[in-house]
Amino acid sequence: MNSHDLSLVHTGTVIEEDSLSLGQLCRACGVHADWVISLVEESIIEPQGEEIRLWRFSGASLVRARSALRLQRDLGINLAGIALALDLMEELESLRAQMKIIGQI
Amino acid sequence: MQYKDYYKIMGLSRDASQDEIKRAYRKLARKYHPDVSKEKDAEAKFKELGEAYEVLKDPEKRAAYDQLGANWKAGQDFSPPPNWNEGFEFRGGGFTGGDSGAFSDFFEQLFGRAGFRAADRGQYGFHARGQDSHAKIYIDLEDSFHGATRNISLSTPEMNAQGQVQVKHRSLNIKIPKGIKAGQHIRLAGQGSPGTGSGQSGDLFLEIAFNNHPLYRLSETDVYLDLPVTPWEAALGAKIKVPTPEGTVDLKIPPNSRQGSKLRLTGRGLPAKVPGDFYIVLQIALPPANTGKAKAIYKKMQEELDFNPRQALEVYRQ
Repeated sequence: MNSHDLSLVHTGTVIEEDSLSLGQLCRACGVHADWVISLVEESIIEPQGEEIRLWRFSGASLVRARSALRLQRDLGINLAGIALALDLMEELESLRAQMKIIGQI
Repeated sequence: MQYKDYYKIMGLSRDASQDEIKRAYRKLARKYHPDVSKEKDAEAKFKELGEAYEVLKDPEKRAAYDQLGANWKAGQDFSPPPNWNEGFEFRGGGFTGGDSGAFSDFFEQLFGRAGFRAADRGQYGFHARGQDSHAKIYIDLEDSFHGATRNISLSTPEMNAQGQVQVKHRSLNIKIPKGIKAGQHIRLAGQGSPGTGSGQSGDLFLEIAFNNHPLYRLSETDVYLDLPVTPWEAALGAKIKVPTPEGTVDLKIPPNSRQGSKLRLTGRGLPAKVPGDFYIVLQIALPPANTGKAKAIYKKMQEELDFNPRQALEVYRQ
């Protein structure tokens, strides 16, 4: 790496609530569109927009989709199970965050 | 190279049945799965487990591994005996582990590199575009308040021309935009895995998380500060200097404030699109009665004040 690279500062784009298209989400997860569509059908992730070509996903959907991928691959959980696991994990996460706010007195 | 005791890693005896191996894997995988587990070294443990299972679930690999003998101790310096795997045929294609590129030297010495598998994992069609990559980065609260440039180090497994996986380390200077929230992503176009042939590189997705702050706690875009106050400040009201991420402010404590009261500074939380609020939570600190003077004052309060904090409990008293 030369000195030019060291001083180079990368400016990225912040992914807002509705900035990922189906194609972008597929690419980001390295999966087929079919699989993402099955996640939407199972309500594991919820895009904005009615038609598939208008679907827009949030950064949170990206996190959930990637978690789903790992849970399916590593633990062999089916989609219904993944939906349940992710919801419970999210609830746990938010309870932990609340504990941090009120419990750390 | 260190010997790895795959049976010990999975908590199994050497004569475990294939069913027992599968059950042990399922159980431990749930325990150490990085998405589920809160244990500190979950990721390392999960990788180790994946590697152990990779070998033990496959009768061919297991038999070859068993043949090394039971006298090795985990961590012992190891080199495979010559022709150790003579007569074993590994059919390949059996690599299912999460990050196959991350198997240990021990594994690779025995069974070869699992890299070829990583090549088709996750890719679809014959796109020559490089894969998108992901990383979670931890920033300070102040970085989001003011915007910042942060240097991050990334380790990326990459395929070389021989189809082997090599871990490449690099560092990048990243601009952290003002007002970014936990869980939001920054996408850096072209900073993911390089494409094959003339294909484009993938993108790099950075998920934002915050380091714990010594003063402030964060809930979405709201920032919380515990503010210790004296009993007389809370009772009589006061003007107190309070730190916020954007500098000190003068805060008016209203008279008769109670323990745990929340005071809000609207719009002084994270400067996101919709800015959060800054909450000050009053923590009333009691002066210790460790001098004659302090004791006398408490004594006087006891005599002069008609105060019963347990009024609400009265009804339950016999």
